[in-house]
Amino acid sequence: MLKSLNFQDIRKKAAEAFDNRVRIITAGMGLDELRAVVRGDPPTEKPNPRYKVHTTSFLFHIRPRYYEKGSTLFAHTFRLGFFTSFFFFVELFTGLILMIYYTPSPAEAYNSILELMSNVPFGQVLRDLHRIGAEGMVIFSVLHMLRTFLTGSYKKDRTFTWLTGVFLLGITLFLSFSGYLLPWDQLSYWAVTIGTSMAEAAPLFGTQVNLLLRGAPDIGAGGLLRFYLIHVVLFPLLAIWVISIHYYKVAREHGISLPAKMEEGNISPEVKKEGKQRIDYIPDLLTHEVFLTALGLFVLIAMVTLFNWHAPLEHVANPQQTPLDTKAPWYFWWLQGMLKIDPASIIENLFSKVGLQVELSALLNSKQIMGIVLPTVLGLLLLAVPYIDRNPHRSLYKRPVAVGFGLLFTLVIVVLSYMGLPQYGIQTPAATRIIQDLAPEEGSGPLREIPFDQLRVGVYEVGDSIPRNLCPDEPEGCPALTGVFAEFSRRVNFAADNEKLEPYQRLPNAQAVMLIEDWQQDLRKVTLRILWDDVATGSPKNYERHLFLHRAHGAE
Amino acid sequence: MSRVQLEISLGVLLVLATGTILIYQGLLEEERMARFEEQQRAQAIEVGAELFDINCKGCHGPQGEGTPGLCPPLNDKYFFTDRLKDVGWSGSIEDYVVATVASGRLTSTRPELYPGNVRPAMPAWSEQYGGPLREDQIRFIAAFVANWEATAPDRQRAPVLAGPPVGTDITQELPVGDAVKGETLASSQGCVGCHVAGPTGPPWNPTADQPGIGDRAAARLTQSDYSGNADTPDQYLLESIVNPAAYLVPGYETVLMPGTYGQTITAQDAADLIAYLLTVK
Repeated sequence: MLKSLNFQDIRKKAAEAFDNRVRIITAGMGLDELRAVVRGDPPTEKPNPRYKVHTTSFLFHIRPRYYEKGSTLFAHTFRLGFFTSFFFFVELFTGLILMIYYTPSPAEAYNSILELMSNVPFGQVLRDLHRIGAEGMVIFSVLHMLRTFLTGSYKKDRTFTWLTGVFLLGITLFLSFSGYLLPWDQLSYWAVTIGTSMAEAAPLFGTQVNLLLRGAPDIGAGGLLRFYLIHVVLFPLLAIWVISIHYYKVAREHGISLPAKMEEGNISPEVKKEGKQRIDYIPDLLTHEVFLTALGLFVLIAMVTLFNWHAPLEHVANPQQTPLDTKAPWYFWWLQGMLKIDPASIIENLFSKVGLQVELSALLNSKQIMGIVLPTVLGLLLLAVPYIDRNPHRSLYKRPVAVGFGLLFTLVIVVLSYMGLPQYGIQTPAATRIIQDLAPEEGSGPLREIPFDQLRVGVYEVGDSIPRNLCPDEPEGCPALTGVFAEFSRRVNFAADNEKLEPYQRLPNAQAVMLIEDWQQDLRKVTLRILWDDVATGSPKNYERHLFLHRAHGAE
Repeated sequence: MSRVQLEISLGVLLVLATGTILIYQGLLEEERMARFEEQQRAQAIEVGAELFDINCKGCHGPQGEGTPGLCPPLNDKYFFTDRLKDVGWSGSIEDYVVATVASGRLTSTRPELYPGNVRPAMPAWSEQYGGPLREDQIRFIAAFVANWEATAPDRQRAPVLAGPPVGTDITQELPVGDAVKGETLASSQGCVGCHVAGPTGPPWNPTADQPGIGDRAAARLTQSDYSGNADTPDQYLLESIVNPAAYLVPGYETVLMPGTYGQTITAQDAADLIAYLLTVK
């Protein structure tokens, strides 16, 4: 009896059974192999069990078994594509949790955000992560596209991948834009109103498209529900679908491109061999990706907690009141900038220089051309880049025309974005501009940032000299209040004395006053008032804004 | 150390660091949520103050002091201590304000103090009942009104009259009036709540059709349909204030103005007001 009980045997058999379980869970790698993977050692068995994982596990099956060494160089890809998809997953997970707390109806949407912020632990962190992830996804997909363009990676076998990439850029922009409306505050409401009004400019069916998007002539309950469904169902599904195509092409078909200097021209076989050297997915690339994910999460979490990056939230949406300086989300500023260009008047001016009088404004609808036709052309141009650029070379130096056009295109987008800012090309009267800059209708601004105790009650009139200290009798003084008042005085005096400015920027005979009154317990009323004589008629005009500031408002 | 090992160690460190930040943040969350709620409360009061300034101050006064005989004061101790008991309201003061503002008042609850003479005594302000304000805006106004609680003065029990009331005798000798003070009184006593300003300012200002109230008063005395007892423009204006029913200008046949001003303003105030009105030619 005892002879048949061999402990050595039992131990061995138990170890084997355990090893088998591990192999099932890891889809092919035993205990020793796992240990080797973590240590970065070469495979322990033959055939390489690390490749077996790629056939037995779904998630590993869609990942490549190896990359060529040249394509893993940091300075070649900057991991931009990786981080774009990283942000997409951040959006998926935070978005799913946020859906628990959100109600897509005008009466409840804003309240559900307030509830999330005031009554859900980590609610603010979730919201901030979702917002910063969205911004990150837009930034990184644009940079990713720029990199692909500069390294010429859209050529030959990769043309279709470029095409799916352009679609993904569009999907990313619209994913971000459709989520913009959901908080239902003034910022989101008016940005989306501007955005959808561009659809209206489309010829033939513009009004219908606009109606379909908004659910009514104005954005209301129907529009919010539509944007919500587009944001949480339609576009995520589209994105997953197109990302799958885009990624599968890269991972299973043509791989990431090698740097041109390792592939093109007269290069030594050693360099070529070095570039094509295989780097296995397990463990090298896997650890790298896990490391990048840890890094990305760390940076995001640090941004929204330690560095106080927060998603903005303004007052609840009010369809009756358009705040001054309303603007589209930053990634659509270029479109707003384009809309400020009137092609008809430019052509008319050109013709009048050579002495010809033409009337084009009736023929050329500037909103249609700049808001619909040109963006469509730009999109088509992007799609067609691989077909337009037939130059077989990929090296930067051998395709100066393409690179030149690429940089020019980027520059134009940057300039157009600048032109899209409310500060450009819109003639806001000086008094409105000055007061809006100090105390904007929405958001914070210098005046609201003054600590409550420094808002000393009194009447402060703007004179020729700018005061150094508005509260000399207090030991601490009131530097913030003095600073804001000095800025107010400086700008009013500038507009009053400078006769070379445009008429709308001038304030002849300006009298300005800042009034601070005690209004209620912990509540003060600040009035900014400017009186001046109209430049054209000389009749007196005035502009004023009242602000009510509570002690706890900016309690950070 | 190989690259794999380096990345594993760094990754572990990063995960630990992220976890530490999250735990630290978690400890602060209670405080953050409380602070956010406080900020929301502050913002509600700020927005409420703005809305009150636009919609309510015409009758209830810029500082909630009310209009004698017309609109009750809200910045008033009685309002916060006894009002709810008197009307038998079981909810909070904010709920009471919300309910009143939203649906208005068909008739005055204290006709002896605020006869109002207008129907309804207070219009409905909620969008639901045909008014201009959304429900959340009404909540903001209520938050602003409730914020007067700590500092509200006792207006009901000690009406602030700096001197003897003027009475209803229009032939009396009034003290010397100060037109500048009168102008301030015209806006602070709530006159403009009903005498709503038009494009040329308050209705006693001259318009395209007729001169200012000073000249109007002089002219009306001589009209054949004049039924009052005044002999001078001064007396005519005093009569209009303390005994508005004595003569009604054609077009204004119903007496809307409260007849109680003889008791609620002093002789000095009446003299100041008249001095001001006479300067508006």
